[in-house]
Amino acid sequence: MIVVDHVAKTFPVSRQQRREMGPGFTGSRIDALRGVSFTCNPGRIFTLLGPNGAGKTTMLRMIATMLRPTDGSITVAGFDVVREAVEVRRRIGFLTGNTGLYDRLTPDELIRYYADLYGLEARAFAQRREEIYALLGIGEFAGRRIGKLSSGMKQKVSLARTIIHNPDVVVFDEPTAALDVVTSRAIIQLIRKCRDDRKTVIFSTHRMGEVSLLSDDLAIIHRGTLIFSGTYKDFENQMQTRSVEDEFVRLVEAA
Amino acid sequence: MNRFVTIFRKEFTDTIRDRRTLVVMVVFPLVLVPLLMTVVTNMQMSSMKKAEEKVLRVALVPNGNAPGLVAMLTARSDLRLVTDIPPDSVQAFLGSDSVDAAVVIDTGFDAAVSRMASGTVRLFYRSSDDYDMVKRRLTGIIGEFEKQIVAGRFAALHVDARIVNPVVVEEHDVASMKERIGKTVGGMVPYLFVIFCFMGSMYPAIDLAAGEKERGTMETLLTAPVSWFLFLLGKFAVVVLTGILSACVSILGVLVALRRISKMPPELMNAVMAILDVQTVLLVLSLLLPLAVFFAAFLLSISMFAKSYKEAQSMISPLTIVVILPVLMGLFPGIALDPVTALIPVLNVSLATKEIIAGTIQTGLLLEVYGSLVVLAGLALFGCARWFEREGTIFRGV
Repeated sequence: MIVVDHVAKTFPVSRQQRREMGPGFTGSRIDALRGVSFTCNPGRIFTLLGPNGAGKTTMLRMIATMLRPTDGSITVAGFDVVREAVEVRRRIGFLTGNTGLYDRLTPDELIRYYADLYGLEARAFAQRREEIYALLGIGEFAGRRIGKLSSGMKQKVSLARTIIHNPDVVVFDEPTAALDVVTSRAIIQLIRKCRDDRKTVIFSTHRMGEVSLLSDDLAIIHRGTLIFSGTYKDFENQMQTRSVEDEFVRLVEAA
Repeated sequence: MNRFVTIFRKEFTDTIRDRRTLVVMVVFPLVLVPLLMTVVTNMQMSSMKKAEEKVLRVALVPNGNAPGLVAMLTARSDLRLVTDIPPDSVQAFLGSDSVDAAVVIDTGFDAAVSRMASGTVRLFYRSSDDYDMVKRRLTGIIGEFEKQIVAGRFAALHVDARIVNPVVVEEHDVASMKERIGKTVGGMVPYLFVIFCFMGSMYPAIDLAAGEKERGTMETLLTAPVSWFLFLLGKFAVVVLTGILSACVSILGVLVALRRISKMPPELMNAVMAILDVQTVLLVLSLLLPLAVFFAAFLLSISMFAKSYKEAQSMISPLTIVVILPVLMGLFPGIALDPVTALIPVLNVSLATKEIIAGTIQTGLLLEVYGSLVVLAGLALFGCARWFEREGTIFRGV
């Protein structure tokens, strides 16, 4: 379970950044998120939706302990992301659409590396690796250098890396961005499998098709503020337009 | 500890599979340095020999004087004399490269010599010629001729030649061959290993920090249940190791080069080899460790701050000059290891290495060098760790 409670995140702005933003910006800080609260439950897929720069990635990075909230609190599987960061990290898997891999390692070496970082025992690792390789079809290219693999193969390796330690909570930050339909479908299936395995799943996306396909719960963020939070059914019930996309645009423009 | 080993092993594997790192760390010092040293030294020796053996075209204008000198010059098989040049055209001939030098004997030379005065021999040459060999060879011959005249004068006056040498200076150079070579050639050793230590650390530092940010691997790495400091330590250890390896390989490269320079005098070769005894090598290497730690922390801090590989490269590359300068200063005459220079990073290593190779290092100063390097390395590592834990550094540009 993930509990986000009145979270705010502020970033300092350097002189160079101020110059890049133009004469209209005069402040010394940017409020990336303001008073955001929501809960993601096990066995459900929570979708975080928002236009570019809304604060989705910042929120997911805070959940994954990479950034610290300026205000409010976040707990993952009962552990605080600031005070118990290492405990949180043991329980999460994190994947982004632009996740990089080590080109000079093989999938076998990379997955072994992460398994070691997560402290997996040799026998548990062997079993888990077998399951994941079978699920994603990695075995045939597991010994090749990652730099020589296709982008689809690489994304499969990223997925394997994300779930090798069988995390309770899985965080996907725009996992299908810039991927072809076949690879995107493999990811969508994996997200569903995670839900079926009673994991807590949170993912952010731009693709409206994925929202209706996967979401159990939904939150929409715009300019760092939550403008909708509830179940996907609630969202559908309050729709004043004909499509999810139109409704999303209507809410953003009204905010 | 296990996690540290895991991180170190992965970072090291990843680093040594990087072609750029391998080229700078191994190929360049082990292949290119010996090759360049061998080629340059052999070319230099060969051109020096050529200049020594070259038959010189010398314009001789005797003006009917100094028959002894004319005879000496004529008897030389390594000179081809040109005698039909008018005295006022000598410089023009030299300018057009028709002759290598000209010897013009003054019209009143014999008269001056016979009245026990000084006669003038004008020597025209180009000082820009190879190794000034033309001047050296001709002044040698003229010097011999002068000795003959002086001996004749002493004989005519019935005077013992020792009368003009009331003081005989007996020189006893107590500096051993090790010391002499250490003070001269010894300056070149730090020049090589400090530069290679820096360059060997440079690419891994860029790749393991800025490279990770650019590839997007840093983000996922930091979600693993390991403290960020341990990741930094793993990367840091690899950068230190590559710096040390690169420096060691460069020293090995020099040894290979020395073995390959076939024309090097054996006594010099033996002296160089005697210098490189176990104690000297170990002492030099002991300076390398804190230096590599300092470089690694410094380079990782910059690389961590950079948004991309390219930005890190453009920030770090000019620093090579900053490193070379203090090493070069160590080669200047008059700059020696003292309580002040022992505190200046890089310069202290350069000077201490010279003293170690010469066998004249003072324990107190060596300890001061260690102390200064260790404190500096510790501060750099502390700064790097603090820097690494800042959100603004890690996620700058991510």
